[in-house]
Formats: sequence, structure tokens, C-alpha cells
Amino acid sequence: MNNLFQYVPGNSLIHRMNPVTKIFLTIIICVAAFVTDRLLFLVGLLAVDLLIGIVAGVANRTWNIFRGLLKIAVFLFLLQVLLTRKGTPVFWIITDQGLLTAGKVVLRLVVVCMPLALVLAVTRITDLTNAMVQVLHVPYQYAFTLSTAIRFIPQFLEEMSGIMEAQTARGVAFDKARGLKKFSMILPLCAPLLISSVRRTDQTAVAAEVRGFRLRTRESGYKKYPFTAVDLGAVLFSLALLAGAILL
Amino acid sequence: MIQIQDFSFTYKNGENPALQEISLTVPDGGFLGIIGPAGAGKTTLARAIAGIIPHHYPGDFYGSVTVNGLDTVDSKIVDLSRLVGMVFQDVESQIISPLVEDELLYGLENFGVPREEIPGRMEEALAKVGVSDLRERSIASLSGGQRQKVAIASIIALKPKILVLDEPTGELDPRSSRQIFSLLKELNEEQGITVILIEQKIMLLCEFARQLAVLSKGRIIRQGETRDVLSHADELQALGVNCPRVTTLSRMLSEKTRAEQPVCINLDEAENMVRRLIP
Amino acid sequence: MIELDKVSFAYADQGPSVQDVSFRLEKGEFAAILGANGAGKTTTVRLMDGLLKPTSGRVLIGGMDTAASSVSERAAKVGFLFQNPDRQICKNTVREEILFGLRTVRGQDGEEALQARTDEILKEFSFSGEEEPFSLSRGQRQRVALASILAVEPEILILDEPTTGLDYLECCQIMDRIRRMNEEQQVTVVMVCHDMEVVLDYAHRALVMAGGRLLADGAVPEIFRDTDLMEKASILPPQMIGLGLRLGAGFENADSPEKMAETVLALRGKGAAQ
Repeated sequence: MNNLFQYVPGNSLIHRMNPVTKIFLTIIICVAAFVTDRLLFLVGLLAVDLLIGIVAGVANRTWNIFRGLLKIAVFLFLLQVLLTRKGTPVFWIITDQGLLTAGKVVLRLVVVCMPLALVLAVTRITDLTNAMVQVLHVPYQYAFTLSTAIRFIPQFLEEMSGIMEAQTARGVAFDKARGLKKFSMILPLCAPLLISSVRRTDQTAVAAEVRGFRLRTRESGYKKYPFTAVDLGAVLFSLALLAGAILL
Repeated sequence: MIQIQDFSFTYKNGENPALQEISLTVPDGGFLGIIGPAGAGKTTLARAIAGIIPHHYPGDFYGSVTVNGLDTVDSKIVDLSRLVGMVFQDVESQIISPLVEDELLYGLENFGVPREEIPGRMEEALAKVGVSDLRERSIASLSGGQRQKVAIASIIALKPKILVLDEPTGELDPRSSRQIFSLLKELNEEQGITVILIEQKIMLLCEFARQLAVLSKGRIIRQGETRDVLSHADELQALGVNCPRVTTLSRMLSEKTRAEQPVCINLDEAENMVRRLIP
Repeated sequence: MIELDKVSFAYADQGPSVQDVSFRLEKGEFAAILGANGAGKTTTVRLMDGLLKPTSGRVLIGGMDTAASSVSERAAKVGFLFQNPDRQICKNTVREEILFGLRTVRGQDGEEALQARTDEILKEFSFSGEEEPFSLSRGQRQRVALASILAVEPEILILDEPTTGLDYLECCQIMDRIRRMNEEQQVTVVMVCHDMEVVLDYAHRALVMAGGRLLADGAVPEIFRDTDLMEKASILPPQMIGLGLRLGAGFENADSPEKMAETVLALRGKGAAQ
């Protein structure tokens, strides 16, 4: 879980792409997934997702994300199939229409979520926010909020597992509980977690302030984010995807 | 120079004053250690010097705090932060970026350090703290001690005139703690940086700090040269402040030999004292 | 009581943190695990309570393999005090916090007995019970955590840097209480601690680690006098031992300021008589 959001260092084509291009590509894949109505095209988009992961040299991570999403997808698929009444029955209460709609829904979900998670694997958060500020002129305050939120995810999970460990050691049976039971046991422990999080957020604001948070301008970033041939290629590729989604 | 005069502060919503009638002067290039039991107001004093009080934490502010001629109440916090670098007690909340390199870049970028200077400053700061090998790592993959060193490096890279550190070695083992203290000494002696250090590790503090201020219940109980402050060991211990064992030894020997022995603050001095006593 | 038998452990996608460590602690021992940051101390104490399971080797608590039972079942027997008390405290008053721990592992005793035990512990730690843990100082919160662990009367106490961030008085309060448990009830204590003065004052046995391996296992003052070992493990010995080593013969037993002063006076007397 902790690792799903962490940056994987590398120097692949995808790593070197401008962060803004990566966001653009992600958005286009999402739009294409919603525009198209063809199952086969969605499968194609999924292949594109996986290919991006492989080209970026993060095949392991891609596989982990895919596997994680698959669990949710199977659940949604069954739900959708059982609830759809339209179409010709194929087996028991399952209809052909149901299978097709359910397939599209879960494929869309996977196709849309994969690049969102992959962007974080192949882009440093700071590059992402700095590029948003420099290139897209997003106000720095918003970018800072986003990057701090993402920075705190692993910390939050670390704290959570620390609390569970401490509670297990004093006899709360976390080590034997699973699923919903475990969740209901975690809930009462959220009070200390929230208190420490709020305290920390405030202190982080101070730490940023004394290191010139207010002096930061669009030009402050040390790294610059020029567009290169790779970006042009990626943009053309995404436009082609979009055209395909509309025309096919 | 830091000049604090008749300074009292009560946090907004706070019942009792966190600090009362503090008067303290730290000369340029000084090395001041602040000790005192929990809740004595050490962190509040550090915040006041960095200007975080009253700019971030509002409250009733009496007296004056002046840093290199800037009155902290009248100055902007950004002008103060160019002078004063602060290392916070809770390292987790001090670190803003997800990656070590970006954490160092953050302040350098904001304060407008020229581009060509940035790589050199980063390398120098990481090397000084001894974490050059961590440059590419993510913060989440570091141990508590490593995070503490990165936090210190990110402040040193900014080359402040004054360094305020609030228990910066809490997560470090004795050897790494000593390494950080030596680094502070080096910055202090070679670059004339004023160091203000809050620390519970009394033995290290006494060995490195030239001046000490002892806080208890919001007041300064004693301040002065380290050795002079330690000559009141009984008083300190009554307040719940420990003394280095070599100091305790010199006090005991003074009593037992019925002759005043020098107040020892490190092993060398203790060794000399004992060798002198044994013919 | 606790036995580690050729225990090794590696975190996922990392090299080994603990390698081939074996030792045995008897009932009533007070041991400290020493070593630099990253030496494997914290991993070792987590293995001792079964919070981590060894990748190879066995950990036995009272003869039972930790792999065969759960940590939570062992909580009545093994108390674990963490460095950060805030991960443990989850109730709004000190009384509730202590009761929570008791109910979790000693629920079968009946509510009346648990309330009585809580009163006893509160009195002993001088808490009224109505304090809100999160408005107390860090040292006081650590005392709350210790109180709720001691309330269940464990046979083994594991401490992971229990005095970090505490001032001198708070540190003494906590450590004195632990020493009493050890001496009066023969509770086995294992602690990870960076403050060598605390180790010298309280622990009897030292396990020295470096690079995930157990370098040495011995009695406390002697271990500190082994200069080569201290160098290898990156440990700086306590001040009086360091002083004694510099002064050489005749100062072997002067490990506290009191003993050092006596030794100096005795040698001085001898010198004067000659």
C-alpha cells in the first residue's frame, strides 16, 4: 500500500517527459475512455496503459497497481452483471447486455485509474507541482497543498501501522482480525492519529513559512521544464488516441 | 546580535504565560545552550527568536526581541528567516518535500539563491552532515536519524547568520549526535554563525556550548558562561536539570578534599583534576 | 524466559537487518541492547515480541515459539513500551486508558477487580485519572503509557528507547519504576537505549549489536571497558568509565562519581602515607 504512491527513480522516456505532458496524456486517456463506446477500444487503451508502465521501466509497479484495481473491478463487475435486467439471458439472471455494460464499466475504471497512479510512480511530486506552477500558471498555494498532501500519505500510513503495532502489543487483536472487523477496530484509534496530523500540518506550515514560502514566485523553481521532441510525440499520440475514441 | 528585553509571552487561549520577564543577550558568533525541564518554555523562546512568535502564534507579547537590529514584531517573517535558520523538534513536520534533494532545494529556491550556486550549496550541506549518499532517496525510505540529518542539512544550505535548533539530535545515537554538535561548533568557529541550541543531552551541551541559559517555569533561572552556570549544580538539580557526571565528580571532590576544585565540563579537565590530586 | 535461536530477519526488498542472533534471557534479568543507528536493535526487540516474525531461526517466549501464537494473546505476559507514547494512547482520560489495557487482556477478572487495579495504579503513579492524556507533556504521556502496561502485570517488559525526548526528572521517574518492577517482581526487562549513562545506572547485562549481528554479550560495566568493542560498535562509554580508562590501573571499579571520588581519596591517602 505504502509503495503504491511512491516515486520510482529512473531515466526512461516517460521519466524525462515534461510533467505537464504527462498530465495531458493522463487526461486524454481518461477522456478517451469515457468518449468511446467500444469494448475493444477500451481493451486497446488498457494495453496503452500497460505499455506506458513497461516503457517507463516500472513494470512491477504497473502490475501491482493493476492487481489492486482488479480486485475492485471484479467486485464491481459482479454487482453490475447481477443488477442489469436488460438484454437476453445467457445464464441464470445474467444477460448479454449486462455482461457487456459491466465489462465496459470496469474497463473504464481500470483504464482511468492506472495512468493516475502511474504518473506518481514516474514523476517527482515536486516536479509535478513546479511544472504546474511554471507552465500552467497554477497559483503556488494550490500546488503546495497538493504536494504536501501527497507527501503526507506515506507518513500517515507509517503512523497508522505504528499505532496498530502498539495496540497489538497491548493486546488488541489486530493480528487476528480481517476485513470489516479490522476496520471497525481501527476507527476508535483515529482520534490520536487525527490529533497528531492536525498538529503536524500546522507545524509544517510554519516550517515552510520560515523557509521563504511567501517569497516563492513562478520563477523560483531551480529546474526548468522545457518541451522537447518527446513531448511533441506524446501530444500527437494522445490526440490520435482521442480522435480514435471519437471516430471509431 | 540577539537582544531580548523583559520579554513575556502568553499564547492565545493559553492560561499561564509561557515565558516571563526574559532578558537575554547573545553576541554575534555566540554558542548558547538552553536547558530546562519539560514545559519550561524552551521551544517558545526558540520560536520568539525565529520570529514565529508573534507572526504565526499570536498571543500577549510584552517586551522586545531584536535580532541583528530587527525588531521581530515590526519585521516581516521572511526578512527574519533570511537571518535565522530554525531546525524544529519534530522532524516529521519540518520536512516538506517527498525527496531529499527537493527538501534541500526548497529554501534555496525560495530565497532566490543564484542558480549557479545551488548545486554547490546542496552538495556542501549534505556532505557536512554526512548524508551525501542519501541525495536521491525518498524521505519515506529514511530512518528517523537520517531524516533528522536531512532536516539539518536543508537549513545549513541556506547559510543563515543565526541557527536555532530545538533538540536536533533526539533520534540520533551518541556518535551521530556528537558529529552534529561538532558540525555546529565548526560552523560557529569558522563561519561565525551564532548557534542557539536546545538540548536534553547535557554532557554534549556542556562540552560544546560557551554559554548556558537554564529555564524553569517560563523564567531564566541562570545564564552565563557554561562553567559558571554549572558551578550551581545543586540548584540545577533541584530544578530537575541534570549535570554532566564529571561536574558532579568535581563538586564531590571539592567537598571531600575540603579544597575548591575547578568545575569540570569535559573528560580532559576531569582527568587533569584527578591527576593533580593524586601525587 | 526469552530465547533467540539463530534468528535472522530481512525487511521486504532490503538486505538483512538482523543476522544469526542468538541469546537467552532468564527471569528477572535487566538487559540493554546497544549499538549505533541501524545496528538492528529495534528490529531485535520487535522480533522478541513477535511483532516481526524471523525469516529464519526461532524466538521462544517461555518455551513457546512466537510463530505459533499471536502477539495480542501474549500481551498479558509481555509488555512493550514504545518510543512514542502517542501511538499507544487512544482514550480521553488517563483512567480510561488504563482500563482499556486491562479490559483487553484481563477481561476475565471482572469489572470490579479491574476498577480496583486501576485505582491502585493511578495512585501509585500519582494520577487523578481525570487528566486528558493529550494535554500532558511528552514525559507524562510516557508515564501514562507505562502505567497502563504495568497495570496488567506483565512478566516481561520490552522498552524501545523509552526515555527519548524526556527531561532528566521524567527519565528518572520512568526508569526507577521499571527498576522496582525488575527487583521486586522479578520482571524480565529488555531495553534499547541510546543514553549510556542510563544503561550503566539501570541495566545489568548488555547485548552489543553492529550491522545486524550480535557482537558481544556481557555484564554492563565490563562491556563498556572493552575499548575495541566500543569502537567497533560506535558506542561512546559513559563518562566515568571513560575517565577510569584514561586514568588506568586502580580505577576499574570507579563507574560512578561517588566511587570515583572515593577512589581518588583513597589513592591520595596512600600517596600521602608513602
